[in-house]
Amino acid sequence: MNKENINPAEAKLSTLLRASRVAPTLPPRFQEGVWRRIEEAAAPAKSNGGITWLDALAALVLRPRLALATAAVLIVAGALLGVRDGNQMAHQDAQARYLAVVAPNSLR
Amino acid sequence: MNRSLLILLGVLALCAALLGGSYAVSRRVCQTCMSKSVSDLDWLQQEFHLSAAEMARIQKLHEGYLPKCAEMCAKIAAKKSELETALGGTTNVNPIAQQKLAELAALRAQCQAQMLQHFTEVSQTMPPEQGRRYLAEMQRLTLGLHEQTIEPSMSESAGHEHHNQ
Repeated sequence: MNKENINPAEAKLSTLLRASRVAPTLPPRFQEGVWRRIEEAAAPAKSNGGITWLDALAALVLRPRLALATAAVLIVAGALLGVRDGNQMAHQDAQARYLAVVAPNSLR
Repeated sequence: MNRSLLILLGVLALCAALLGGSYAVSRRVCQTCMSKSVSDLDWLQQEFHLSAAEMARIQKLHEGYLPKCAEMCAKIAAKKSELETALGGTTNVNPIAQQKLAELAALRAQCQAQMLQHFTEVSQTMPPEQGRRYLAEMQRLTLGLHEQTIEPSMSESAGHEHHNQ
């Protein structure tokens, strides 16, 4: 709609202005500089990837179900190991008690 | 520090605490429960899988041996005290101290012989295989027998090697 309303004089002016615009010459090694800046911009994106991995892991371990299951497994494993070692220690205590009675330290 | 890293470290610490805590508590509880109301001979029954009849015979032998052992221990303690008096803070070993040392050694030898006799009698009340194992175990624990006591430095200096065959 706007194009239709443009004054022919203004259109002519616009054409003249467009023609008078000077195309600037690119500075030396412009292209190289552009690529360097693109690479620099991409570099932090890589480290962001590492942080994302950590974030994902942190989010995973904070899931209530997984956290509860892990806690249960750890408690059971610790208890089993403790019972095994406790039995062993009690056995050693019993042996030491027997030895202390039948063979006092003064004989060993 | 990164928040996720902190969370992970915290979770790891919590896991270690859970595992360590449950291990320590259950070990303590188990050890306490197992040590409660056990007699001096419980180890024999557990280790050598003895029947009630065998345990009764061993119990009788044990009760017969204890007063003899206590008597010998008292003699050894008295002799030690005599030796201490004979040494009397001197820096050299005088003839009296030497005599006391010899008497102490003789008493110990007598006591050890009595102890070995008791072990032999106890081993004879067990099934043959268990009896042999018991005797070997007691000799190892009380006299240090049946133990591998190869000293590398000595074998090297002697210029010969021990070969396992």
